[in-house]
Amino acid sequence: MSKSEDTESRTHDSSHDTKLMHIVAHTPRGKGILDCIQCGRCTSSCPMARQTSRYNPRRLMEMITIGLKEEVLSNTPWYCLSCFTCVDKCPQGADVGEVIFAIRNIAAREGHIPPGIKAQGGNIIDTGKISNPTKSILKQRQEMGLPEIEPSDTEELLKILRKTGFDKIIGHK
Amino acid sequence: MKDSKSVLVVGGGIAGIQASLDAADRGFKVYLVEKTPSIGGRMAQLDKTFPTMDCSICILAPKMAECYRHSNITLLTYSEVQDAKGSIGNFEVAVLKKARHVKEDKCVGCGICTEKCPVKVPNEFEMGLADRKAIYMPFPQAVPRLTTIDEENCLFFQKGTCRVCEKLCEAGAIDFDEKPEEIVLNVDAIILATGFDVFNPKAITAYGYGKYKNVITAMELERLICASGPTDGYILRPSDGKEPESVVFIQCVGSRDQRYNPYCSSICCKYAIKDAVLIREHHPEIDTYVFYIDLRAFGKGFQEFANRSKEEYGINYIRSNPGEIREDPITQDLTIWYEDTLTRTIKPLTVGLVVLCTASIPRPDNKKLSELIGVELDDLGFFRASHDIDHPVDLTVPGVYGCGFCLGPRVGDIPHSVMQAGAAVARMSEELAGMEEA
Amino acid sequence: MKYAFFIGCLVPARELSYEFAARKILPTLDVELVDMHGANCCAPFGIQSLDYISWLALATRNLCIAEEMGLDILALCSDCYESLLMTNTILKENSDIKGQVNEVLSEIGKEFKGEIEIKHMIDVLYEDVGPEKIKNAVVTPLTDLKVATQPGCHLVRPKMLHFGSVGGYDELDELVRATGAEVIDYDGKEICCGGPIRDTFDKYSRSLINQKIKAMKKANVDCAVTICPFCFLQLDLGQREIQTRFKEELNLPIFHFPELLSIALGFKLTDPQIRDHRISINHILEKYNGYEVSS
Repeated sequence: MSKSEDTESRTHDSSHDTKLMHIVAHTPRGKGILDCIQCGRCTSSCPMARQTSRYNPRRLMEMITIGLKEEVLSNTPWYCLSCFTCVDKCPQGADVGEVIFAIRNIAAREGHIPPGIKAQGGNIIDTGKISNPTKSILKQRQEMGLPEIEPSDTEELLKILRKTGFDKIIGHK
Repeated sequence: MKDSKSVLVVGGGIAGIQASLDAADRGFKVYLVEKTPSIGGRMAQLDKTFPTMDCSICILAPKMAECYRHSNITLLTYSEVQDAKGSIGNFEVAVLKKARHVKEDKCVGCGICTEKCPVKVPNEFEMGLADRKAIYMPFPQAVPRLTTIDEENCLFFQKGTCRVCEKLCEAGAIDFDEKPEEIVLNVDAIILATGFDVFNPKAITAYGYGKYKNVITAMELERLICASGPTDGYILRPSDGKEPESVVFIQCVGSRDQRYNPYCSSICCKYAIKDAVLIREHHPEIDTYVFYIDLRAFGKGFQEFANRSKEEYGINYIRSNPGEIREDPITQDLTIWYEDTLTRTIKPLTVGLVVLCTASIPRPDNKKLSELIGVELDDLGFFRASHDIDHPVDLTVPGVYGCGFCLGPRVGDIPHSVMQAGAAVARMSEELAGMEEA
Repeated sequence: MKYAFFIGCLVPARELSYEFAARKILPTLDVELVDMHGANCCAPFGIQSLDYISWLALATRNLCIAEEMGLDILALCSDCYESLLMTNTILKENSDIKGQVNEVLSEIGKEFKGEIEIKHMIDVLYEDVGPEKIKNAVVTPLTDLKVATQPGCHLVRPKMLHFGSVGGYDELDELVRATGAEVIDYDGKEICCGGPIRDTFDKYSRSLINQKIKAMKKANVDCAVTICPFCFLQLDLGQREIQTRFKEELNLPIFHFPELLSIALGFKLTDPQIRDHRISINHILEKYNGYEVSS
């Protein structure tokens, strides 16, 4: 583990946004924030928290309630595996893993998106899929007698995603 | 017209015992109904009581004996309420006295029958950590002091063979032909004191109870730590009978948990402190840890006791709700993964024994009693008070009262159960006296 | 038993053996698969991270296609399953959100009605077909084969958000036992394969794979079985990456469950199927006569 990973999260030099918790609580996946009692069951069960001290879901919930917006919306929530172990284990139904999606959505609107995720969004707009076959795979499909992969109706998808503002969120031209 | 007022008390634990004694001393004719073969309840199973560390059975046993002796108390053990009708001043209650197959007036409690009975079954009083026989006395201080044949396991009742106890009993107390008997009682009032059950932590699979032998419940630990228990008070692991190097207590197992029991059971923090201290007293070499969410040591003398447990006994307190327990298949040691929420560190702790402080939950019998008597249950399954603040021991039918943990996790400890018993008797006297005046 | 077959993107683009085996064995167990025309990406966690309504609209477009077909959906990929199941459930439960999503979909003339159910292949095999029927169909029982199952996250979680507490993994284990193989427990079975952070934090992703493979090997299994293309990618390709990078011999064969079922049902794996595996499965195929020698 590197030195930087061991250091405490940078709480002191950040401004507190007292509205953050309310904003999160009013998103469809963020309601759980109001139920958290900081017992630590989520972090104690979290497979990612065991890999790196940079990720601590209980602390993330605490940071939301305190209003440490900068930390909350930086790269921290992207460590989550979306394995939902915390949701399964939480004794209060605070649905931590769901709250993570709420804050990722807020982060995305503020422009904090990891490149890999942004690429997935771009792929969807361009091809309707996040993963597309290579030429050799297409050949192999033929060889195996598997049906052809139909292209998605990207025009339709673009209509949907323009309507929701998805293209703007990922900065797609 | 009856000469004196009478009351039916349901449940022979500390709350029911105290209510019976208080009512009997006031001149009430008391019928104390208990479904198991002996009165005593949970308190009889405990080693010490918190925070004074008094010997539990030493306080309880004299009260049990007094119940037996008191001329105003009729003990109906191994009995259950079957039916109830009427109202305050005139309840008619049918009680089924189950067949014990041992005559109360003949058995002297010598124990020869138990000694020679060939059938072994898990001992409920010892939380399954030891065996009992099919003919048995639940525990040495049992009241009444006589044995009972458990039909479900007795070779005679199951296969028509054996009858060893009958051959050996010099008192001639064994009666295989005894039939259950229904008794109809006329009483002025009813006091319910059905106590609590222990939440089965198997539901929380991540803790491995039932799968890992060295994960036990706090009630099981009470028997392990008790000098008259299956290990004579030595802390020995169920897996190998060896002393663990360290013991962990985990709080809020099934309580303060929206999926199981949303409430705080109100006693676990306190008994965990007590048990951790007892372990250190019995085995100063064993390290003890208490994992807690909030250490709720409220009440007279408790915070002081918690402080002493840290300072004098070196108990380690960790603010965390652990995520999972894993067993080393070879050593059968247990590794607990947890975040210390005060230092934000995530780490494993490997220990020899884990004690789960499980929720105290309503007895399933409450439902039947509520249907028979007409008293309401609250959303959790405990008896609902007619008014939580004004009349906290009155139930929702006039003339029916409650005391002890069956009212829910108020302050579910022994002193408060005793207080509530007194309060229930006082309220009953008051209301019945009011009826006479009217 | 007839289902709209939601194949997703990862399976047809990278895990042809999974698709091939599923298309082969499901019909023999009387499960008819009807391909979905014009389906798009299910909108898994990455897309869910970006925008709530966009996720639901993308997923719902697929649901509308199945509704038009009048069929419930069968998904091969646990992430597709999770996204479609959650969307279907949220829209059925919440008329406000359904209204918002339908407004978006009105742009393309589609409307969610709430007429279908979503199933994972494992649900169908367990509930519709049943372990008994599979047991009876087995011609090559996989006797003495010790298997670690990797149920993954999204088959079992977060269903509890809508369906109460879910126990977990018994269905897959029972289906594996139906082939005659033995299911061996291992440490951290419920833990994630690390797939979701493969692109973002590869170091930790690898470490999760490493721990999982090591735990499986410690339990002395002959192979592991997955039911999700991400789990397979991680445990198979990810395992080879670890082997190459750290010069460590792990060599734990990984099977898609339908492959294992194929062998038990007497279908031999073909050459291209075997080439889909980066960790050799040959010695297991030889033992159970599951290798079709190409002409």
